[in-house]
Amino acid sequence: MTLEAIDVTMGFDGMGVLQDVSVDVDRGEVLTIVGPSGTGKTTLLRLLAAFRPPASGTITWEGQDLWSLSAEERLAIRRRMSMVFQEPSLFNAPVHRNVTYGSRVRQPWSKRLEHGLRELVGRRPMDDTIRDVLETVSLTDKADQNALSLSGGEAQRVAFARALAVDPDVMLLDEPTSNLDPRNTAMLESAIERARDRGVGVVVATHDMHQAERISDRVGFILGGELVELGPAEQLFEQPTDPRTAKFIDGELMYDEPEDSAEQATGSPGTA
Amino acid sequence: MLPLQVQLPDGGWTYIISIIVVSLQVSLTAVGLSTLFSLPIALLIGFTDFAGKRGVTAVINTGMGFPSVVVGLVVLMLVSNSGPLGGLNLAFTPKAMIASQFVLATPVIMSVSLSAVEAVGQPVRDAAYAIGGTKVDVGLVVIKEARYGIVTAILAGFGRAISEVGSILIVGGNIVFSDGQSYTRTLTTAITVEARQGRYEIGLVLGVILLALVLGVNGLGSYIRGKGRTKQ
Repeated sequence: MTLEAIDVTMGFDGMGVLQDVSVDVDRGEVLTIVGPSGTGKTTLLRLLAAFRPPASGTITWEGQDLWSLSAEERLAIRRRMSMVFQEPSLFNAPVHRNVTYGSRVRQPWSKRLEHGLRELVGRRPMDDTIRDVLETVSLTDKADQNALSLSGGEAQRVAFARALAVDPDVMLLDEPTSNLDPRNTAMLESAIERARDRGVGVVVATHDMHQAERISDRVGFILGGELVELGPAEQLFEQPTDPRTAKFIDGELMYDEPEDSAEQATGSPGTA
Repeated sequence: MLPLQVQLPDGGWTYIISIIVVSLQVSLTAVGLSTLFSLPIALLIGFTDFAGKRGVTAVINTGMGFPSVVVGLVVLMLVSNSGPLGGLNLAFTPKAMIASQFVLATPVIMSVSLSAVEAVGQPVRDAAYAIGGTKVDVGLVVIKEARYGIVTAILAGFGRAISEVGSILIVGGNIVFSDGQSYTRTLTTAITVEARQGRYEIGLVLGVILLALVLGVNGLGSYIRGKGRTKQ
């Protein structure tokens, strides 16, 4: 497996958020983590993205424990993943600058400086990679527009393009469509499918069961920080083995213990 | 009633221009040095969490209200012959004026920069990290996102420095050479002299020039802030 969480436990301020959770994702598949709000989905994705180490258990990349590696080795692995958040969190810069951010930070400083100077004297023509990822999210015509002037749906699609532009092996998407209208949701789901077809492993956290059914190869149902069930999407939706999963699918289980604040505290660049 | 005809002082426009030059030299140098000092500290405070951070921020904010005459007095005590820095012969020189304006501008630049850096939300930092940024990359993103606020901070520091009179009057001595050229006389200190001597019209001319400079700086600040806003 490419990226794997093994018996991961995490808690904040004495409050348990995840309990012995094990999930994995391989290239070319969509794994969806579903569950009510505040149930530990964000925490799990942030742990997979190596924002911080789990309290116990391991996060592995191709069998290597991420947190037993050196910082440089871990950075190299982090750069084979990318993550999109519920909020687009774009930079105050043109769309093309947002989309190329990941490739810029992967370049040596001399190259970055050279590109920066080149852009000062005249805009660099849009290269094929940028055009390709912007086409994936149907935003080629917005390349020169400031990212902060886009609508919510367009902004989230740019955030997706920014994550896709680094040619990741695995993408982690945290509630990527929860603030989007149906049209933008459909466009983003289509982009997720295209990414999978290009061989990208995608982990999506969502509370939308219908979306999970539409886009997933496998689905994990998480409740109260515990992974209740994990299996092929068809099997989980048609023959759930746990009654709690069945209740959630039927829309009878909408909320969990409020743990949103704990999820937000799951580390940051400055603390990881 | 104000006189309508302006009688230029001895030295004429050469004198006035030398005052403008000294004012700009002192304030721009003080603000330049203060920026080099304040910005890294503001970034360090903005990027890190430590015990007493709120206290440190409160002290910096309090510094914005430093009475300039008290700053001038302390700087003069330090650089006077009997002070710890007396050997450097800085008293009543433009260097001492730069030092006092540095002290006055620093809390302004540091505080406004810190606010700008802290206004860049955690989600933006997380996004930079999640796309493969290192801590340095995340820091650069924050600086870039806070750039309009940082420019505003520098301009606010310049505004504080150029319009200040109390401390530079004390540490600079308001000196003019015998040939009518300014040594430590600035626009603000010159206005006090002209007012004291009853030459209100010259004071007004100098006041208009000072206002034009401050207005120009504020206009530049508004333009830059507006540029940032229209992009959002």
